[in-house]
Amino acid sequence: MQYMDLDAVQSRMTKRIFFNRLSKMLFLASAFFGLIVLAVLLYDVVSDSIGWLSIDFLTSLLSTNPDIAGIRGAILGTVWLMVIVGPVTMILGVCTAIYLEEYARPSKFTTFIQTNISNLAGVPSIVFGLLGLTVFVRLFGLGSIVLAGGLTMSLLVLPIVVVASQESIRAVPAHLREASFGMGATKWQTIKNVVLPVALPGIFTGMILAISRAIGETAPLVAIGIPALIIPAPSGIFDRFTALPMQIYYWTIDSVMVQEYAYLAAATIVVLLLILFTLNSIAILIRNKFDRRY
Amino acid sequence: MKKLKLSLMLTGLLAVASACGGNESSEAGGNNNDNESNGGNNNAGNSETEELSGSVQIDGSGTVYPLLSRIAEEYMVNEQQGVSVEVSRAGTSAGMQRFINGETDLSNASRTIKEEELQGLEENGIETQEFKVALDGMTIVIHPDNDWATEMTEEEVTDLFISGKYADDDNVLWSDVRDDWPDEEVNFYGPNENHGTYEFFVEVLLDEQDLVDGINLQQDYSTLVELVSDDENSIGFFGFGYYINNDDKLGVVSVDFGDGPVAPSLDTIAEDGDYAPFTRPVFTNLSIDAAKEKPEVKDFAKYIFEVADDLAGETGFAPLPEEELNSYIEEIDEIE
Repeated sequence: MQYMDLDAVQSRMTKRIFFNRLSKMLFLASAFFGLIVLAVLLYDVVSDSIGWLSIDFLTSLLSTNPDIAGIRGAILGTVWLMVIVGPVTMILGVCTAIYLEEYARPSKFTTFIQTNISNLAGVPSIVFGLLGLTVFVRLFGLGSIVLAGGLTMSLLVLPIVVVASQESIRAVPAHLREASFGMGATKWQTIKNVVLPVALPGIFTGMILAISRAIGETAPLVAIGIPALIIPAPSGIFDRFTALPMQIYYWTIDSVMVQEYAYLAAATIVVLLLILFTLNSIAILIRNKFDRRY
Repeated sequence: MKKLKLSLMLTGLLAVASACGGNESSEAGGNNNDNESNGGNNNAGNSETEELSGSVQIDGSGTVYPLLSRIAEEYMVNEQQGVSVEVSRAGTSAGMQRFINGETDLSNASRTIKEEELQGLEENGIETQEFKVALDGMTIVIHPDNDWATEMTEEEVTDLFISGKYADDDNVLWSDVRDDWPDEEVNFYGPNENHGTYEFFVEVLLDEQDLVDGINLQQDYSTLVELVSDDENSIGFFGFGYYINNDDKLGVVSVDFGDGPVAPSLDTIAEDGDYAPFTRPVFTNLSIDAAKEKPEVKDFAKYIFEVADDLAGETGFAPLPEEELNSYIEEIDEIE
């Protein structure tokens, strides 16, 4: 019988401990990498925006003069855009999810729809922009108005809402449905009174994430032709408009003409990030509050 | 109940969306009515300018954009608060495409309109008129630390950019131009083919000869300024406005057209100025139909030439002679 050679084990011990530590450090470093980059970006943007971000900046209209330029028009443009995106994606997305989860039987057709929704989620946003330009702006003759931009954005974020709603409908426990059927309720009554109320928090989370994606998107708006200079703030869905990410884009590029535009862009980025962080926090709060009620 | 509300909203939205197809004309009609009633009031009140509403759509050259956006803002703040003048800058050719589709009222250009573009306009039944707005000097920029190439003859500048002139493989050294310049390779930069500035440089200044191989052509002027200011052996070309707003980061070549080196400046790029051989007019194309239908378009078009000489300098252009601007105003006035 051979015993373990203690010396041999000891001699390899330091090496093994070293590799153990090394791998831990590597994983830690990769976890921190994203955070550090984000921190650097935030520091850069926030330090640039100091002195430019003020109430006046939020409430003034756009101008070519950086000292008096503000983003009221861009903020209102973004708000009006969401007035379209919110209801349209909510209605279309939830209806699609209800059909796929509650009504559709597993078939080739259902798989086809399902696959296409997943594929849509991966289509680059500029492609949606060109679709919006061709269909809403040109074919329907809407022009670059809030409605055209909103419908384009809705198509872009629709898959997010569909998938989130599907998952949250699927997570409704089967015994709730069965109890409802057992009481004599029809399928529609069950969906309306049992499934949807239970699934609602999950659906809302998906909605908010979809809206925050739409708020930050630039490419579709570039494609549908938002003017670089538009001073009046939009007052409805038929007005031409500009939005926060568009203004960041134009000011960043134009900083070659007027260097102060770079600071205005930084201040706008801070406003946009604040809106996005708030929305995402609300989504997390909703998720945590209603998690596992059943 | 919630669901019911939602479905009502959906129906509403769809109705709105489908009603929009034919909305354009009715909207325009509504605006016209407003104008008429406003005009009537003003006539009665004996006021000088009639109050207009509606919007003016402008797209086109990125070079002209700074000037036109400045004029547009001035117009909206001081002249007609009710009119929204919207300025984009997709580039001369892209903007012209929208102009041909009838999407815009004015189309800025850093070159004259092309034959095929005129044909497209004719096919769509759009009558247009090209106007000069201001003068821009093609500026040859170098790195600020470059202390040798600050003065060059016109021929040296153009030859440098022409393929095969100084070196067969286009790996040009500064010493190929003049013997006492460093033995280092020259790196070329410029705006890409989407820009009217590129077309003017190649077609007019280089007389349609090929650009050197390996020239770095960019879409954005911001990238171009960064590249030239980061490269000690750089040489590039673009409009005077982009140079003068970044003159702390860029050096400039004074060009000798035969009477000694001339640096581009607002004075030298003016009509008949010493830099004139490298100076070009920038344009805006007015849709005559839009000017006839929409009084705000006609009014703004006139305003452009009323203030162009004051605002040109601020945005890095030399103004056109006053008589020329005045003659344009009269021309537009006659559109009925």
